[in-house]
Amino acid sequence: MFEKLTVSSTPHILSKNTTSKIMTHVVIALLPATLGALYFFRLEAAVIIFLSIATAVLSEWGIQKIRKQPITINDMSAVVTGLLLGLNLSASVPWWIPVIGSAFAVIVVKQIFGGIGQNFMNPALAARIMLTISWTGRMTNWISPGADAVSTATPLSYVKGFNVIPENAPRIFDMFIGNIGGSLGETSALLLIIGGLYLVFKGIISYKVPLAFIGTVAAITLIYGGFDFSFMSYHVFSGGLMIGAIFMATDYSSTPITMKGRIIFALGCGIITSFIRLYGAFPEGVGFSILLMNMSAPLIEKYTRPRVFGGGKQNA
Amino acid sequence: MREVIKLGLILLLITSVAAVVLGITNDATSVIIEQREQEEKAQALKVLIPNADEFIQIEETLFADRQDIVEAYEGLKDGVVVGYAVKVNPSGYGGDVNIIVGFTNEGITTGIIIGTHTETPGLGSKIEDEVFVNQFTDRMTDNALVSVKRSVEQDNEVQAISGATVSSDAVINGVNAAISFLREVIMNHSSGCSCCG
Amino acid sequence: MKLKELVYKGIVTENPVFIQLLGMCPVLAVTNTAENALGMGAATAAVLIGSNFVISLLRKFIPSKIRIPAFVVVIATFVTIVGMVMKAYLPALDAALGLFIPLIVVNCLILARAEAFASKNSVLKSVVDGVGMGLGFTIALVVLGAVRELLGAGTIFGATMTWSSFEPAGVMGLPPGAFLALGMLLALYNKIASMKLKKQ
Repeated sequence: MFEKLTVSSTPHILSKNTTSKIMTHVVIALLPATLGALYFFRLEAAVIIFLSIATAVLSEWGIQKIRKQPITINDMSAVVTGLLLGLNLSASVPWWIPVIGSAFAVIVVKQIFGGIGQNFMNPALAARIMLTISWTGRMTNWISPGADAVSTATPLSYVKGFNVIPENAPRIFDMFIGNIGGSLGETSALLLIIGGLYLVFKGIISYKVPLAFIGTVAAITLIYGGFDFSFMSYHVFSGGLMIGAIFMATDYSSTPITMKGRIIFALGCGIITSFIRLYGAFPEGVGFSILLMNMSAPLIEKYTRPRVFGGGKQNA
Repeated sequence: MREVIKLGLILLLITSVAAVVLGITNDATSVIIEQREQEEKAQALKVLIPNADEFIQIEETLFADRQDIVEAYEGLKDGVVVGYAVKVNPSGYGGDVNIIVGFTNEGITTGIIIGTHTETPGLGSKIEDEVFVNQFTDRMTDNALVSVKRSVEQDNEVQAISGATVSSDAVINGVNAAISFLREVIMNHSSGCSCCG
Repeated sequence: MKLKELVYKGIVTENPVFIQLLGMCPVLAVTNTAENALGMGAATAAVLIGSNFVISLLRKFIPSKIRIPAFVVVIATFVTIVGMVMKAYLPALDAALGLFIPLIVVNCLILARAEAFASKNSVLKSVVDGVGMGLGFTIALVVLGAVRELLGAGTIFGATMTWSSFEPAGVMGLPPGAFLALGMLLALYNKIASMKLKKQ
């Protein structure tokens, strides 16, 4: 356990036990969404999530074995990465998509940069983006929940280019509980919020970051839609905003250290997400916005560093 | 002071030699480049307006105020207009996409030729694929073409390439620019002035 | 140093891409297919050999105070000639490489060889150095281009190399794929090099 006590760039120096505890809490928080995915998308969801977690853990074990480093699969972080990636995929993807994605997330994004705590990007999200630009057709072939899996569009593609909700778009209540087309785990806002509340209650994440992220998107879409509240809720409950704001924008290693920095991070995510959704070429922008802000995290840290050495009080 | 002049003269000598060498190369290659470009253009026009034996460039003033249109030609056979070709350069994902669109004298498309472009290889470059290009053959041009992601249902729909919507839309926009120019300017122009024949 | 060693140095021990990491702009930008990579490598090699030849020829004539502008003029002249010749005789390749042909002027590999080698060595040696470095650069580009084309489009030099159900990863043809592939190749090159060192 002592090798885990080496000082790293972030102050979240955690002993192995605490890392695995935190990661276990995150897995528990993702359980409602996972069960929801299993309920909505049945066997396909189970296969994808299993393959994605198994590959993530195996890749971590394999690369550490090859590089003759201590094996850290017990800290559960690979499980979280695999689960998050699995929940980010469409139920229609073939088996090799989660396998390639997980291997990329763990080997390239996480381990090559030094393993847990050293990665500058969220591994699951980077893998999702990599998969999306590589196999766009596969990754955006969304299917509707239930046994009769038919091809469908995500709610966001209905409102793309509009500032009102078109009549044929899915109902907001369906979006809230997750009865819509989309990736496995991001469809149900309700189940994700339950998981988020659990993490806040356990003190793993602060409610401020998801709130700032979602709040920014809500504010911008509210103004864009001409103070149409249903248009705003449509944007808030659709796409990857919930899973991104709760589980990815709160990642320890790829976000700023101080609370002030994290709020700036979350505001940036919200602004970029809204602008991509409203003005960009893609219907969804959560993934790109978090990755872009991941890369600006060192810069944010530079400008939000507490003045007095060792003084964290002013940010508390 | 003398050193500065000396250094300047040496540089002048080097640049002069370079200029002479470049001038000679330019003389030798510019003829070939121009000839090749002419040949390519003639070949493209021949494919798009197959029964024409003479091509006349349409005046630039007619499309000076229109976006994306570069050149336009009338194809004649025995002095009678049998078709048109319009060269457009809409902007795609990686820069301008050069396209030549061919029409019959009734305004039906005869096809398109995708020229140089800088779209992403393996993705946007699929606009060169026959499956996509052939969608632009024998189209009525009463309505502007619309890009769709599903399979085609209406007459004026074009199926975009999955994963390359921006590139597909660029081609469609270019063809639409050519269509509206043809409909609104060229065909109006010739019908209002029958003397042009 | 023998001439043979000079060529070996350019290709292996001091490979401009894998060891010196020079001229990364074309290395990353135009290696999306093996064909583009070969064209870019050949064009760069031609400019490098030409500029090494002329600069070593003039090395006693050019005063050191104005050597950099003089070198740049020589290099730019060769680049422009290569550009014109390509436009005339290889129009397809010229269209694919586009802006990156004129940008050979600012490829630091060429100025580095002019400054570090051609301005201090005989004409013959400089030309051989240009051949070695040019070959090393071209080989590295083609390897990178082939890897990216294989993974990104399923082909090498336009010929299909993969089974029919293989779905190429589009990312490899895009800028991030250039970084990923270059990183992996560098790791592999270093691994092989360190294994050779251990044996010795």
